[in-house]
Amino acid sequence: MSTDAAFFSVDQVSYAYDDGTAVLCGIDWSIPAGAFHCLVGRSGCGKTTLLKLAAGLLQATEGVVWIEGQTVRGPSPKVGFVFQTPALLEWLSVIDNVLLPISLRRRVQAADRETAIELLELVGIADLAKRHPGQLSGGQQSRAALARALVASPPALLMDEPFAALDAITREELQDDLLRLIALRRTTVMFVTHDIAEAVYLGDRVAVMDQGQIALDASIDLARPRDSDCRYDPHFTAHCLKIRAAMTPKTAEAA
Amino acid sequence: MRRHLPSLALLLALLAGWEVMVRLAGISALVVPAPSAVFAVLWSGLVSGFLWQHIWVTGAETLLGFALGCSIGFVCGVVLGEVEPLRRLLWPYVLATQVVPKLALGPIFIIWFGFGMTSTVVITALICFFPLLENTMTGLQTATLEKRDLFRMLGARRWQTLLRLKIPSGLPIIMAGVRVANVLALVGAVVGEFIGGSEGLGASIIAAQGMMDSTLMFALFITITAMGLLFYQFTLLLERWLLRGWLKGAVS
Repeated sequence: MSTDAAFFSVDQVSYAYDDGTAVLCGIDWSIPAGAFHCLVGRSGCGKTTLLKLAAGLLQATEGVVWIEGQTVRGPSPKVGFVFQTPALLEWLSVIDNVLLPISLRRRVQAADRETAIELLELVGIADLAKRHPGQLSGGQQSRAALARALVASPPALLMDEPFAALDAITREELQDDLLRLIALRRTTVMFVTHDIAEAVYLGDRVAVMDQGQIALDASIDLARPRDSDCRYDPHFTAHCLKIRAAMTPKTAEAA
Repeated sequence: MRRHLPSLALLLALLAGWEVMVRLAGISALVVPAPSAVFAVLWSGLVSGFLWQHIWVTGAETLLGFALGCSIGFVCGVVLGEVEPLRRLLWPYVLATQVVPKLALGPIFIIWFGFGMTSTVVITALICFFPLLENTMTGLQTATLEKRDLFRMLGARRWQTLLRLKIPSGLPIIMAGVRVANVLALVGAVVGEFIGGSEGLGASIIAAQGMMDSTLMFALFITITAMGLLFYQFTLLLERWLLRGWLKGAVS
């Protein structure tokens, strides 16, 4: 499975809790460098577990996860992670939160501050750099979390439903910001969501997960750059319907 | 200041009522002294320097005991909070010692450390130790799983996670422990002096009791209350400074 061009590759990976409950069963997947892959599925289907395995936050019970041909044994500096909640540190200003990945590794320099400010400008909250997270709205906090994940320029991002708690308009704005930012850096992305339209809008490829297995592997051939018009394209809707069908449990169909 | 005017007026009214009651009813100064007499004794004590010496002793005991108890409690709280097996081993004892009335240990401290300042400082430190121990342990566990995963993803070392995530996350809870310790510290020092002190405001209350000097006792109560308020304000300022980052977030 570990082809040369793949950034992430997951080979026959299974994961079970300590009590033996299986979460993932024999998953194969690979993400080429620079690609944007989405994982959709209902709650509890194992999509977050797969993401955490790729991050090295969890270790597979069976099978191997590779990043650029190396076995993942723990969190890698090549990978940035964006969580379901912004997870900002309340006692630090926005700019210090964004600089956290750097300040944990070494002394922050003037150039790092410039990078951080540039990122904050790109996500549209540069004027809030000196504020504290409690003074920001939910969308602004998510933007700060996105800037933090990108500040150390990791070649890959893992995102766990990062926009799930936002209102529809803010979510669309953040999706566009994200696409712009990663296009600049050619970042490889694995994006977990339960929102089908979000997955189709963002991804080059969408995997539907059901009961610990990949139920559908859909390639999204919509042209890039994508804008909001593309959301109303019949082609877009067709992709959504196909994925929606794959998410309906087989037991329900039989009934 | 304006906000406090009604409270101040109430205090003055109560004092005036008390003065009138004592004079009209002819209550003995031995039972309830008139406020005017109490303030006269307080004033002469302050002017002659008699009170200052005791204020100094009690103040030093309180601060020393508070500083020692809080720092040792904090360090032990961090150790227990970080080392899971140790926490499991010692937690029942920590709970058990909460129930022990620390002041009841005073007499044994006098046997160990003798009469005077050392015993009182040890009692005060012991009283301040527990709120810090418990609140630090609890506080260190408050960082969410996501934030701990974030630090893991960023390759943070254990001490970095402790200093830059767990302690700052728990600081509001830790500072609540400091505030409890603050109030207990003065109680510890005064009662410690009851048991084994020859100097200080607590010892002076016992001496005044021996002389049946209720007026002096009331003057000493007022002094202790004023010290307590001052000490509490100082702690609040310290808390506000330490939590300045947190407070900024809460302004919105």
